[in-house]
Amino acid sequence: MSRLRSALSRTVAHPAFHLALVLALLLGCRWLSAGTVQILTFALIAIIFSQSINLLTGLAGQISLGHAGFFGIGAYCSGILAKTHGVDVALSVPLAALLAAAAGWLLSFPAGRVRDVYLAMMTLGFGMIFYEIVREWNDVTGGTMGFPGVPSAALHTLSILGVRIDAAAYFQVVLLVAALVLVLVRNLTQSRIGRAFFAIHVSEVAAGSIGIPAGATKQLAYTLSGALAGLAGGLYAHLVGYLGPESFALPRSIEVLVIAIVGGLGSIAGQVLSATVFTFLPERLQVFSEYQFIAYGVILTFSLVVLPRGIAGLLLDPPRFIKPRALRRAVALRPDPAVLRPEAAGGGDGSLEVASVTMRFGGLVALDDVSLRIEPGRITALVGPNGSGKSTLVNVVSGLYRPSAGRITFEGRDITGLPDHRIAAARVVRTFQDPRLVPHFTVRENLLLGAHRLLRHTGAAAALALPSALEEEAQQLAAIEAVLALTNLTAVADRTISTLPYGTRRMAEVGRALLARPRAILLDEPAAGLSEAEMERLAQVIRDMKAMGLAILLIDHHMDFLADLVDDVVVLDSGRVIYRGGIAEMRRDPAVIAAYLGDEAATASEHAHA
Amino acid sequence: MDDFFFSLVLAGISVGSVYALIAIGLNLTFWTTRTLNFGQGSLMMLCAMLVVFLASQGLAMALAVIGGLLVVAALGVFVERFTIRPALVASGGSMGWVVSTLGFGIVLQGVAAKYFGSQAMAFPDVLFTTQDYVTVLGQHLSLQYLVVLALSVSLILLLELFVRKTVWGQAVFAISLDPELALVQGMPVRLIILGSFVASSLLAGVAGILSAQIGGTVDPAFGFDLVLFGFVAAVLGGMGSSFGALVGGLAVGLISKLVGGYISTAAEHAIAFALLMAMLALRPQGLLGRPEVSKA
Repeated sequence: MSRLRSALSRTVAHPAFHLALVLALLLGCRWLSAGTVQILTFALIAIIFSQSINLLTGLAGQISLGHAGFFGIGAYCSGILAKTHGVDVALSVPLAALLAAAAGWLLSFPAGRVRDVYLAMMTLGFGMIFYEIVREWNDVTGGTMGFPGVPSAALHTLSILGVRIDAAAYFQVVLLVAALVLVLVRNLTQSRIGRAFFAIHVSEVAAGSIGIPAGATKQLAYTLSGALAGLAGGLYAHLVGYLGPESFALPRSIEVLVIAIVGGLGSIAGQVLSATVFTFLPERLQVFSEYQFIAYGVILTFSLVVLPRGIAGLLLDPPRFIKPRALRRAVALRPDPAVLRPEAAGGGDGSLEVASVTMRFGGLVALDDVSLRIEPGRITALVGPNGSGKSTLVNVVSGLYRPSAGRITFEGRDITGLPDHRIAAARVVRTFQDPRLVPHFTVRENLLLGAHRLLRHTGAAAALALPSALEEEAQQLAAIEAVLALTNLTAVADRTISTLPYGTRRMAEVGRALLARPRAILLDEPAAGLSEAEMERLAQVIRDMKAMGLAILLIDHHMDFLADLVDDVVVLDSGRVIYRGGIAEMRRDPAVIAAYLGDEAATASEHAHA
Repeated sequence: MDDFFFSLVLAGISVGSVYALIAIGLNLTFWTTRTLNFGQGSLMMLCAMLVVFLASQGLAMALAVIGGLLVVAALGVFVERFTIRPALVASGGSMGWVVSTLGFGIVLQGVAAKYFGSQAMAFPDVLFTTQDYVTVLGQHLSLQYLVVLALSVSLILLLELFVRKTVWGQAVFAISLDPELALVQGMPVRLIILGSFVASSLLAGVAGILSAQIGGTVDPAFGFDLVLFGFVAAVLGGMGSSFGALVGGLAVGLISKLVGGYISTAAEHAIAFALLMAMLALRPQGLLGRPEVSKA
């Protein structure tokens, strides 16, 4: 079964297969009946449309219940431009995609601020508002009466760049557009952009910690998704020739969501298959068309539980997110651990300085006038009982919380209150208590996410998979080899995270942070839950980081683990620094003993007198 | 104050109180599971449809209403057991249950359209007809509107009393704060969650009947718009806040009726959704809600 699946996956992914399929359809469509050609064109449009929602919902994890809005914007824009203003279809369709992209970009601002159920409601609202506007704006859209007479293949009124286009020729045009879209989306999925989409999908906080800005990434996702939906809508307008508001109401948003979910969110091939099936079924199966709406409902109700990865999960191997060509280039490069060594520090003496930071949550004071200093080439341990504010401090420094008072400077620069991705860009990187990796990415793909900030090529270069983009990716992949060797992960580099034990995931997260090329690193309980052997390995990695000249803050509870590793210790209790100095002296410090063992143990006599 | 304005205000307050009822139905499950049933609108529709159907079969009105409510209560159990719980177990964020409850709503709507037809059915006058009114200070007050208002407000007050004064209500409150802690404390969390879905469905059923009474007709698509207004009300007042739901519901009712009366009935929806989007973007916690502080 799994061998069959691999064989099928390889075939489906093979360029020769794509070429053969496109050529066969391109040449063969002349022999097909007019009805079949029309349904096939519908299927192609559904494929483009489903890629649109796949980008937004499948990759970036932003659910959309109003996607018909973008589709409708594209359809009406192209239809109106072509019919009312006489614009050539070769121009009106791209303009339609552009307008829908602009709508997506605009929607991303309110939508980017909310998630979960609020996002579902907001996108639902967007779809409804579009529908209402189309219904009421009689002068432009024809209102409920619809907008007939759009130049179209069905009406034999379509010409592109002066060439008369019949239904079969239109099918060929749409086929080429769809093929192009699929290639571009595939390239994007296997580029820094697609990986960033998945990163914010899984955890915006973790993405921010390695320099992936959640806001800008979502904006891009909405814009691209809008563009694709608008393109599909524009093509649809010139296929049918008549636009009515009902074609762009909620059922169409539901339909494309059903297609995307059944196909398998995140899988391109799955979308293609599912879009084709759902276009043909109602046309060819009377029973299905009768119960179509109910069937969609049943599918939505149970599909994510019964078949969470859709048809693609059933038939195909999971997709991978690094271009094989970049991987092949990387093999030729020699892994060089020196690339991980940060270049000379920026300004100041290179230390991270926390000065009188206070953090309040309502009435609760989580950090009370905390000051500490982490220096390059030194390991500073931050210890303290549960709830003493250790993680809060890391969250404040890494930009998750803005401190109520106080300043944080790094290399002489004030980084207080910067957003998390800017702090990562300033070379201060943190890890989390619970590893926050992308579970369906391999170790290597997760590590490459760490290097996201260093991949500077444009989105266009990524979509076209230009050699310059691949070269840049290969450089980072070579650096990943070095980190894999350092963290002892080479053997599991191509296993997905979800199949690996906890300790290995922790190590992968540390490796990912290293790939972001920090000059200061904040490790939040990296040893929690590790075995003896894993802990030793981790200690070695931390020593290596120290040797590289990183400033290291290490939160942990295991005193034995810390004892022969750290240079300085800072002890927090109830949000205050109660000790600062060497680890040996710490064990004798009365305030520390009191914090850990209770006041009675250390200061029983004082209590008696109080 | 002219008559037209006054009648719009009364209508607005009356439908607003129904929106508040819907919003509180959404709140109930939001408290216990941080989820909403996107099929809530279909439950409203189904309940109203069933009342029409049962009444047309010669059943006494009171029995028809009880029958409708029993069916939606049973469906509430189904929603919890087969759409919410598996999706929460499978995790994967909110996508699972948004999609599954939406799907459930679509199925109900499709089935209703199949068996009752997609035409609007006249809803029988349960208590008063649209022509009944009382005169207060020279203003005609529609009795139907008044009854609906009184019923919704008293239901909301009763529920609030239940949550504040009873052990079960306190348990709901505890679960909303920390379900795991509630579980280890020995509270029957599963049962309470199930109960919240049943109660939520019942409220949806009542809201459906009341809306149908005001509107006079019911059709398969009828619940969808209503539940969106309920969402707007809940978000406006702050998701999870009962008082917020009431204020939000009345505000949405008033605004939509006034816009409908003076500008265009078609703009009612657009205004409500624009309000929703603006609110979510600017103050997601709502007018009366407090921002959620989550531990990163």
